[in-house]
Amino acid sequence: MGFALELIITFAATVAFGILFNVPKHALAVGGSIGMVTWTVLQTSMHFGAAPIAATGLASLSAAIVAHVFAKRMRLPVTTLSIPGILPLVPGSRAYFTMLAFVEGNYIEGLEHGVETMLIAGAIAGGLVFSLSITTFGKGVGHRYESIH
Amino acid sequence: MADLADEMMDTCLLAGEIMLTYGAETYRIEETLERMAVAAGFANVHCFSTTTGIFLSFEEKKGDGDLMQMVRVDDRRQDLNKIKEVNQVSREFTGGYLTISEAHGRLKDIYHSPVNYPVWVIHLFAGVAGSGFSYLFGGGLFDLIPAYIAAVAASVSLVELEGYMKVRFASEFAAAFTGGTVAILLVMIGLGNNLDQIIIGSLMPLVPGVPLTNAVRDLLSGDLLAGMSRGVEALLTSLAIASGVALAISLFI
Repeated sequence: MGFALELIITFAATVAFGILFNVPKHALAVGGSIGMVTWTVLQTSMHFGAAPIAATGLASLSAAIVAHVFAKRMRLPVTTLSIPGILPLVPGSRAYFTMLAFVEGNYIEGLEHGVETMLIAGAIAGGLVFSLSITTFGKGVGHRYESIH
Repeated sequence: MADLADEMMDTCLLAGEIMLTYGAETYRIEETLERMAVAAGFANVHCFSTTTGIFLSFEEKKGDGDLMQMVRVDDRRQDLNKIKEVNQVSREFTGGYLTISEAHGRLKDIYHSPVNYPVWVIHLFAGVAGSGFSYLFGGGLFDLIPAYIAAVAASVSLVELEGYMKVRFASEFAAAFTGGTVAILLVMIGLGNNLDQIIIGSLMPLVPGVPLTNAVRDLLSGDLLAGMSRGVEALLTSLAIASGVALAISLFI
């Protein structure tokens, strides 16, 4: 029950973010659904014992792949779907606690939170990288040692 | 022929300006402009875009009638709908369904058209986004209300202050300060239990999602200059938000 409520709230929040970024109207619900996929993957993999950073990477990868598939089908720029899709992963709370620790003078704790924030941001980026390499497979730049004609 | 090249240059640069202003990835801008110019029959087309400007050069024929122009982009906003519209125009133009002047006219319409959603709708949904994330980050159901109010306050002050301030990071700083202050006040008068989650929710509408994602995409596709500068932009925005809310916390708690 709690998870269903979380999913509904994720959908609402992701659609709301889509409106903030002026995503076209017919793409709003798709973006929200991708947000739900992201949240499901994140929570499921954490439930099965994955570290938060690994789970974030996995969720970001799946969000980016789903976004790419739908963007291609709906003839939209990928960003209109991938940005709402990865928003549930943004480490807002960790960034906040980093700031809070620094304000209160707990520098060690702040560094701890800060490193975790950066690693999660890196995991989101990593997921995007992998998805890009998968979806553009076959469009390589050519052999490294090919002579330039 | 020279007039044609001139109009094509204006059309391409207008398309590029819209896309860069409203948050398209660099590779998309360069590819769109190059494709449009090639489709119009020009040779030796090259486009180079950074986060603040676009260069475009082409020749009418091989070795004849060189043309080169640049456009400088000062404002960077986020309106993914306009990017989609420009994408559509460029697709129809390269497919041969539009003439140059038709494409130019449609791009001008896109350029002057208002935002996709009215501003008050954006404010209301900033509240939905903020309160939703405050719940997802571990707040309770009762915290949805103060988070909603604080997020709307942050969003309103961001939009209103941007009209007065030249430095964007200053208005983001002030908006984060307002959001944090409203959240703290609401918790002080007894509305809401988890102060941390409410503050996080109120700041979520300010998060630089578009520059952050674009920075990653730009760096990956080899537009290192644009990617680095966009990343720095996102970093500065995050720092401005963090220091705004840090000020609110150290003043009121």
